[in-house]
Amino acid sequence: MRIITHTCPACGTIVAANELEDNRVMKCPGLDCQEVLHFEDLPENAREHFLENRDRYQI
Amino acid sequence: MKGVLLSGGTGSRLRPITHTGPKQLVPVANKPVLEYAIEDLKEAGITEIGVILGNKGREEIQELLGDGSKYEVDITYIVQGNPLGLAHAAGCAQDFVGDDDFVMYLGDNILKSGVTELVESFEAGDYGAGIALQEVENPQAFGIADVDDQGNVTELIEKPDEPPTNLALIGMYVFSPAVFDAIDDLEPSWRGELEITDAIQALLEDDYEIDSHVVTGWWKDTGKPEDILEANRLVLEDTELNTAGVVEDGAETNGRIGLADSAVIKDGAVVRGPVSIAENTTVKSGTYIGPYTSIGANSTLEGIHIENSVVIGDSEITANGRIVDSLLGRKANVESAENHLPEGRRLVVGENSQLKL
Repeated sequence: MRIITHTCPACGTIVAANELEDNRVMKCPGLDCQEVLHFEDLPENAREHFLENRDRYQI
Repeated sequence: MKGVLLSGGTGSRLRPITHTGPKQLVPVANKPVLEYAIEDLKEAGITEIGVILGNKGREEIQELLGDGSKYEVDITYIVQGNPLGLAHAAGCAQDFVGDDDFVMYLGDNILKSGVTELVESFEAGDYGAGIALQEVENPQAFGIADVDDQGNVTELIEKPDEPPTNLALIGMYVFSPAVFDAIDDLEPSWRGELEITDAIQALLEDDYEIDSHVVTGWWKDTGKPEDILEANRLVLEDTELNTAGVVEDGAETNGRIGLADSAVIKDGAVVRGPVSIAENTTVKSGTYIGPYTSIGANSTLEGIHIENSVVIGDSEITANGRIVDSLLGRKANVESAENHLPEGRRLVVGENSQLKL
């Protein structure tokens, strides 16, 4: 299963795509980081893959 | 070599303690379980550590560990979110790990012997992975590894009816970056998770050699209250304890006692080690603290008899009774019901609490 992540450009915290997709727009979960992360920050092919296989990233 | 420290999970077996915090921060001998893992990794020469965060306790864990500088390590946080399995957690760490090998350490586990020997054994060969094993008496209840004469793993079997060995996987692993290709090819198991044992099995099928290291000292998964008490006992037995605080004249102390420099054992109190008492805690007259007990910070004990127990901290325990084999959460207070009518116990008990009266 392809595991997709995104790295916050401000603090380096790595966030799994399922977390980004759940929130779409979210404050970076890094403590005291003010960066706003978007699901759209992921490359287009990663977003497409995730959305096509969305059920597999849910528990 | 890097470290990946798993700190997710719901901690459901440790409720109600984990209603208000992650299980990895429950203290054993007055130190959060997670700190033992950081120390073990550092002792093995690993100073770049990725900490995997789940949905619970993200802020608390980051507040405790910070950027790692107080432990002289460098910490990167990796937010897994949904608990999609250990292999998913490892996969989330791929960008952090890069082309390095890495140790994967379950953050709610404590090992007497640390991970240095596991790492050295892995580095002595050309392995796709290394796994820590321990001999168990009931192998039917565990994931079991079969190994050849050289200690190389030949097969992993989950809870076998006829186990080929009594060597159980204990949740400590070393991986080469080859594991990421194996994870890419995995499918979720029947429970919807990417299983790390499936990834190791895939490495075996791709002809990678898998090292094994049999852990001889104790190992505890601290997932349940009784495990916390057992881990506390094991750590207090093995740890050097320093009495830095004040033991007043007239206090009776025996055995090894860890007493923080701002803690006080008052005249008329009795403490028998091994015991750990944290900062700003006062043990007043008429109190007995027995072996294998840890009392957290900012607590007051008066008149109570307590042994083989863990008090997490910020507690007032002033009842005139006996507490044994108990785990008390932060800010839990135990007072006397004497002079209250009608006679009887008065409880304010949270969801999932367990009382034996």
